Amino acid sequence: MSKIHITVIQPTQIRIDGEYDHIIVPGVDGDFGIYFDHTPFITKIRTGVLQLFQNDKSEEYAIHDGFVTVENNIVKIVCDTIEKKDEIDAARAKASKERAEKRLKSSEENINFRRAEASLKKALVRLELNSK
Amino acid sequence: MANLREIKTRIESIKSTKQITNAMKMVAASKLRKTQDNIINARPYADHVNNMLRTLKNKNISTDHPLLAEVTGKGKTVYIVVTSDRGLCGSFNTHIIKKAIIHLEKNPDADLICIGKKGYDYFRKHSTNVTENYINLFNEMDFSISTEVAEKILSLFLDENYDKIDVIYNEFKSAIQQDIIVKQLLPIVPIESDEISKLDYVYEPDEETIIYELGKKYIHVDIWRIMLESSAAEQGARMTAMDSATENAAELIDKLVLHYNRARQAAITTEIIEIASGAEAIQQ
Repeated sequence: MSKIHITVIQPTQIRIDGEYDHIIVPGVDGDFGIYFDHTPFITKIRTGVLQLFQNDKSEEYAIHDGFVTVENNIVKIVCDTIEKKDEIDAARAKASKERAEKRLKSSEENINFRRAEASLKKALVRLELNSK
Repeated sequence: MANLREIKTRIESIKSTKQITNAMKMVAASKLRKTQDNIINARPYADHVNNMLRTLKNKNISTDHPLLAEVTGKGKTVYIVVTSDRGLCGSFNTHIIKKAIIHLEKNPDADLICIGKKGYDYFRKHSTNVTENYINLFNEMDFSISTEVAEKILSLFLDENYDKIDVIYNEFKSAIQQDIIVKQLLPIVPIESDEISKLDYVYEPDEETIIYELGKKYIHVDIWRIMLESSAAEQGARMTAMDSATENAAELIDKLVLHYNRARQAAITTEIIEIASGAEAIQQ
């Protein structure tokens, strides 16, 4: 089967650069798979789990905030943070989940709800992947 | 004639100053290397975001989006002045501040955002236009920190109806050369690029949202890049400044040692003359 080339670019480094059979990306409007000969495509990623498949093996990453472009079987993903399961600090994720929940519950004004929500989502995805 | 001991103490004190400046030079050199690596690593990300944005803009759906609008010349302008947090880096900050003053004179009701303590310290005293300041960011440079700054700048731009935001910063050319750059940050002007694809993409959720989100990302990256450039330029400037300070100290030490030896010689000569004349007086 023909492979697609995946590049995951972070502001500080090129994190992944290789050939894969197919991938599953958490798009804003739901997860979607990218196989060989996918149509040219640009979308935003939501906080979620990115799966890369290669020869029946899969790799999973927690990914947060970014974009995907697909063009001629070259997939480029730009994102702020991406972590493999073993890189996730469960204690920290849990702490940040609790912090975000507290922030969302509090009745104070001047809270940046969007930011608290984003960090809650991020923490939840990390915990989910970590407990797998 | 200068006292021998006095000269000696001066030599000692200059020696220790020389040691400090030399150490600062080394530290600056190693920080510079780290920042340069960061700049290089940030490039693919920035290029890709720029290419996506360019592709979208070329298609041109909506230039009426505030992030990509044309400058009308009606509203207020904001200047972001990027200086360092610490001194001892030669004329690095003075040049930036001077440049900012020139722009402020042309445009007296413009607002100011200061990134870096040195610029803030100056404009806090000399201008009433400072709306925001971010100090002590350069010690722990991190993408998430620059993103926070970028988010605040973005919301300021969108909420306050500013006409445009310009950044004044030092760009790293080489360890001995920094260029002062005045650049329009917002509304966004994507850089021309050869890598624009002519493909007809499918956009999800829709072009409007993508263009807005991409624009935000573009600003995040741009602020990150500007801060890195400024930080690299600062370290470069500090390196050169400290290098010449070390050289000057060495020169001064040489001069003082010469003085010291001369004074010592003179003292010995006088002593011998005294003894000799004393001995002669006894003989007679």
